Amino acid sequence: MNSLEADVLVIGGGSTGAGVARDAALRGFSTVLVERRDLGDGTTGRFHGLLHSGGRYAVKDPSAARECISENRILRRIASDCVEDTGGMFVSTPWDDPDYGDLFLKGCQDTGVPAEEIPVGEAIRREPRLNPDIRRAFVVPDAAVDPWKVVWACARSAEEHGARILPYHRVLDLELDGERVVGARVRDEHSGEELRVRARVVVNAAGAWAGQIAELAHCTVNVRAGMGLMIAMNHRFVNMCINRCKRPADGDILMPIRTVCVIGTTDLFVPDPDVTEIRQADVDLLLDEGEKLVPGFREARALHAWVGVRPLFEETAKVADTRDVTRSHALLDHDSRDGVAGFLTITGGKATTFRLMAEVTVDAVCQHLGEQRPCTTADESLPGSERHVMYRLDARLAAREPVPQAEEIVCECELITRSALEAAIDRRGTTNLDDIRRLLRLAMGPCQGGFCIYRAAGILHHGGRVDVSVANRALLDFLEERWKGVHPILHGDQLRQSRLDDWIFQGILDVEHLPA
Amino acid sequence: MTTQSVVIGAGLAGLTAALRLTEHGHRVVIVARGAGATHLAPATVDVLGYVGGERVDSPVASFDQFFARSPDHPYRRVALAQVEAALTWFSARLAGLGYTGGLAENLLLSTAIGVARPSALVPRTMIGGDLRAGGRFVFVGFRGFKDFHPSLIADNLTRAQVPAPLTARAVELALPRDRLGDLGGRRLAERFDSRQYRDWLVESLRDKLEPDERVGLPAVLGLRRAEETWQELENRLERHVFEVPTLPPSIPGLRLFDALTARLRAAGVRVVFGVTAVGASAHDGRIEAVAVANASGTVSYPAHSVVLASGGFASGGLALDSRGVTRETVFDLPVAGAPAAGSVRFAPRYFDDQPLAGSGVPVDDQLRPVDADGKPVFGNLHAAGAILAGAVPWKEKSGTGISLATGYAAADAIRGAPVTSMAEPVR
Repeated sequence: MNSLEADVLVIGGGSTGAGVARDAALRGFSTVLVERRDLGDGTTGRFHGLLHSGGRYAVKDPSAARECISENRILRRIASDCVEDTGGMFVSTPWDDPDYGDLFLKGCQDTGVPAEEIPVGEAIRREPRLNPDIRRAFVVPDAAVDPWKVVWACARSAEEHGARILPYHRVLDLELDGERVVGARVRDEHSGEELRVRARVVVNAAGAWAGQIAELAHCTVNVRAGMGLMIAMNHRFVNMCINRCKRPADGDILMPIRTVCVIGTTDLFVPDPDVTEIRQADVDLLLDEGEKLVPGFREARALHAWVGVRPLFEETAKVADTRDVTRSHALLDHDSRDGVAGFLTITGGKATTFRLMAEVTVDAVCQHLGEQRPCTTADESLPGSERHVMYRLDARLAAREPVPQAEEIVCECELITRSALEAAIDRRGTTNLDDIRRLLRLAMGPCQGGFCIYRAAGILHHGGRVDVSVANRALLDFLEERWKGVHPILHGDQLRQSRLDDWIFQGILDVEHLPA
Repeated sequence: MTTQSVVIGAGLAGLTAALRLTEHGHRVVIVARGAGATHLAPATVDVLGYVGGERVDSPVASFDQFFARSPDHPYRRVALAQVEAALTWFSARLAGLGYTGGLAENLLLSTAIGVARPSALVPRTMIGGDLRAGGRFVFVGFRGFKDFHPSLIADNLTRAQVPAPLTARAVELALPRDRLGDLGGRRLAERFDSRQYRDWLVESLRDKLEPDERVGLPAVLGLRRAEETWQELENRLERHVFEVPTLPPSIPGLRLFDALTARLRAAGVRVVFGVTAVGASAHDGRIEAVAVANASGTVSYPAHSVVLASGGFASGGLALDSRGVTRETVFDLPVAGAPAAGSVRFAPRYFDDQPLAGSGVPVDDQLRPVDADGKPVFGNLHAAGAILAGAVPWKEKSGTGISLATGYAAADAIRGAPVTSMAEPVR
């Protein structure tokens, strides 16, 4: 069995794990990160993309609100290329108690979240699709963050500082030496080979799966999985993050993110974070809530639905409603808590505060290792963000504009060129088009891969890069994976689109009769 | 005194019905939002390619078995003789496109990913690609043309289930350097209408071909002069040359559309694009006029008879709303086969049978939409093409066959109907 040695082993390749790996690597620790699937394929890549201003928590969870606004300011700077400065609004619709606005303003004031009430007319001028019957509107510094860009930028930065980032490496077992965790046995999910990673400290950053990892060290970590549904619509009905001005509830946010907008979310305990389903009732609920914010939403064109599972940590109490669990993170030192040394769990929290979570975690790592090394992640920009230029929606178009006909565009919806696709395939060494999707947003636009997936399979196979059976499998797997998110919301114009895709794949190409 | 028929929709079903109606002496107006699926589909006539996932060698010999599985299929509403007559008629009317084949045997043509796909009737530019006899095939792609991947085709075809052994390989050519950039099939096809481009192709290929190889090219060999291009390539390369259909827009489909609409124009048919049929005024169980919305309002087209060929979900003839209700969009006709609102509409796996798939408008033996009791909704309304209930054409490989057969049969059903005089459209 091959083996690796490191100061720190991070388990979990979401934003938290990637953040921990980067922080540790920046502080000079040799670091290995293992993730059972692709980076950002869990909760990180399945949320709505809100970089919280803190407004959402200002009334109910003041400490979370304070963390959010502080991290919001940091990420705008160090992760500028991953953040679009959309701004946000909290609006009182006719279904919301307008007096909650006063509580909201007070909460924002108390927690340092900049919030300003603007006249309704001004709100409608800024967001013309908004329900004209809204009663109050408050502007906050929410923003949109691209979770995959963040995770990959953290991973790249960590690698630049010597870390090994290993996606598709599943933890089979933690290795214990007496009452001390000394490493893990992991399996390369592509080759099937096993690998032993020995580390001085093991950080469990497996999010909603953290309980499963902790159990391998005989520790009980009660992370409950709160499942939330998201639906992406085919374009940006709004250009600011629109929140309902009320207590947190299902369907209370409409997010502009890259070329689409996303309505979220719901919240339901699920016993197993790997067993989730999209329920028609939840789809209907989100569409109805969307209608309250943007008239016409219900019959507008929905592209894709997905669920993410939040890690909700409660040390003791039983909580009936997942929304009552704090959104603050929890760092568990299993030495003092369970008598298991060399083992930390970081869970709970939210994408906005991932950097802070990493900081406190690596602070604890330092303590364990008896080192004093200060955190620098609040100041050191992520790769691609060195110039502090925030992402703009027209970035890809702007990049192509000087020579508009330079080469083929493989995915017209997301303006992905052939060279960008080839570079991503070669850099990642992956044959999984879903991995490529997360890297480039391939097939995430209105046609949901109808045109680009055949092209991508051809390019994957081109020049003998992969065997034809691998290219076929990539195409078929992608179609199955896509269908999971497409069929729950298929109606109206998106059903027309989907029928066209049926014609392309089944009618014209006849892919269901590809040789096995 | 002429008789006016209104055809709604300009896909293969609508164009077929319209042309056939002119042959019955009708004055015809076609109202359509835009072109139909001709621009998307390969322009082969696929009558029946698969039954229960098994490839069909002979459509005519497979109908019984097929109907046992799909008892409400649109083909049940037309006589076999009508399907045959429709194919013969189609080949004769579009002689310039050189359609070959019939109901007795399916040809097998490679798709753009290298699956051997069955078709009943194929245009001349594709016949050389019939895989049934086996042999040596070479697929030629163009670097820079993103919608055709020859090595994917060749490698898959080598493993395909075919009646006789074949070999397949790929050649990729760099297109002439004329700043092609992001090249679509249509722009490429326009270039092949020029001599310069054909010369380039012949010169580029001459020393890259083996003896007796059949040469497959993406179906972009010209828009207006495809026949000539294809013939010239065959002559100069001294080999069989054939087109392989690929992603939309379908260039062979554009040619088919152009050929059909040219004949329609010659027959005096008005084709009104950019409008939407929105309803009808009826009297005594018959439609008297079709209401058509255009940019400035609604126009009424008097109609002796009406062919509804507005397509299925893809073309907007059928619509499903967010609450799960399926509607026919022009006349709000009864829809059959649609899962009730609130019940499962889609299977969890993509290639499984989809509950919503066969939904559409049920019709009687004259292709007239019927109500729940089987009575025609209007005595003079006929439906044709993808709007009909009971088919899963993209799986059966039956889409063009259904459109052609039912478009033809709808026109013939109308011929048998009583004639009344017609006036000009009124506002």
